[in-house]
Amino acid sequence: MTQPYYAFFCPVKIIAGHAALEHIPFELGALSCSRPMLITDKGVRGAGLLALVEAIFASSHVPITVVFDDVPADSSLSTVRQAAASYRSHDCDALIAIGGGSVIDTAKAVNILVSEGGDDLLQYAGAHNLKRALKPLFAVPTTSGTGSEVTMVAVISDTDAGVKIPFTSYYLLPNAAVLDPRMTLTLPPLVTAATAMDALTHAVEAYTGMAANPMSDAYATAAIQKISRNLLAVMDNPHDAHGRLELAQASTMAGIAFSNSMVGMVHALGHSIGALCHLPHGMCMGILLPYVLEYNETVGAQRIGELLLPLAGPEVYAATPQSRRAGRAVQVILLLRDNLYQRCQLPRNLQETGKVSLEQLEAIADMAINDGSIIFNPKESDRSELLAVLRRAWGP
Amino acid sequence: MNRHRLRLLLLRLYVTVMLWVVGRALVATSRVDDTVRAELAPLPQGYQIQMLVMPGGPGFVVECQGEGTLVRAKVVKTLPDLCIAFKHVAHAFLVLGFQEGTAQAFAHDRMVVHGDVSHAIRLVRCLNTMESLILPRWIAQRAVKRYPRLGVREKTVKAARIYALFAKNLLLFK
Repeated sequence: MTQPYYAFFCPVKIIAGHAALEHIPFELGALSCSRPMLITDKGVRGAGLLALVEAIFASSHVPITVVFDDVPADSSLSTVRQAAASYRSHDCDALIAIGGGSVIDTAKAVNILVSEGGDDLLQYAGAHNLKRALKPLFAVPTTSGTGSEVTMVAVISDTDAGVKIPFTSYYLLPNAAVLDPRMTLTLPPLVTAATAMDALTHAVEAYTGMAANPMSDAYATAAIQKISRNLLAVMDNPHDAHGRLELAQASTMAGIAFSNSMVGMVHALGHSIGALCHLPHGMCMGILLPYVLEYNETVGAQRIGELLLPLAGPEVYAATPQSRRAGRAVQVILLLRDNLYQRCQLPRNLQETGKVSLEQLEAIADMAINDGSIIFNPKESDRSELLAVLRRAWGP
Repeated sequence: MNRHRLRLLLLRLYVTVMLWVVGRALVATSRVDDTVRAELAPLPQGYQIQMLVMPGGPGFVVECQGEGTLVRAKVVKTLPDLCIAFKHVAHAFLVLGFQEGTAQAFAHDRMVVHGDVSHAIRLVRCLNTMESLILPRWIAQRAVKRYPRLGVREKTVKAARIYALFAKNLLLFK
């Protein structure tokens, strides 16, 4: 019998709800910051979200000093250096990241350079290579999926070497995560669905993985409940501000859960598909999740079965015999997947993405077997088993 | 010396002996088992793998010779290419005393990895194979997530060869 042990850490202040953005100037002032730099991308500007934030700051005592909106979809070392140079030349004293995972990761990396000095980001690559607190960083997510606003990880591409560099440190955690439903109201349906499936996968893997603990369980189950209750409603009514806020909170809660209990085989396979086939991460997660749960059922049926309660509600949970709850939980996720396909054509299998070929599955399995997440999966897996899961996810 | 200090001293003694054995057994297994060699084959010649208890030991360092075989490192690099460090001797005892599996110990954050995580995953699989081969099944099952399909004949023959290599290296002071 394993002796229980866990550590749980999340010092990020959550500022959430209607008119949450308007709290940022006060919160910055409380940290003695008066010259914030705003980091974002062209998509956020194009959606009109930047104009809203600029107006809020213009009517406060903390004006925005400079805006850097050149973050690409896959951020790079050169982007980080450019943003850091801009921060220094404008004598800024805080960072505000407004965007998805790439923008928030970029802001975390910029924070390393502007706090530690120099331009060599690579010397801080890897785990726990930062030894002191960085400048104040506020993260305002504009998608509800990555959870990057509450994780201590940043991933930046080294385009010269063709690899992605991970940075992990407690000091990369933002000071605050600001969840305002206005920031996700204009998300296209496909992105809403894919990012929500990403958040659902974070929560499910956090709950069913080997490092699950009572604290991460609480965040994971609450996140799953919010997603299952609100995702389809938001898909049917994209301007449902309450539903949008619920999804944003679910994403953040799932982020807190998985950053304290890690993820498993879905992410191991998803990382490899992303690297080899360039399929969007959320799309991979939604496709793979039910098949990995089916695979894990032989060792983790009880934990998977417990998820039927947040996934389907108390009536379905009570009416389902204990021995069938795990299978039913997988069915509920498959039904959610089919409903999302009807509403926005979110692919149901790898074949439907049009980006993954059958011939690539072996290379994906070869890469996934050495992914860091695989060790936290509750069931041991070899290459042939990964390949079998991929073939199930490939489709009919 | 109070009983807590005495207990930790005994744990350190046990862990020191076990790491001494594990390092040598891993070297021997890399010469006997094809799956272990296949796992280590992609690592370059001279690549050093360290396993130790923080701070500063006990531990062992092995070095890749190419084609998946290992030797004990004669000259240890200042920073070995891969280091798996137990945070405390009590954590090392949990793993080496077969109270906690290697994967569960990672999940419990008992160790810190310095180096390429994918190489650490390979090493864990090698350790699992080694433990499955040289330990009685009922002990190995406590150390690994899933005990592999291993026929009695295969296990006996490979375990005998590993123990023989281990004894030979011991006698030759290798």
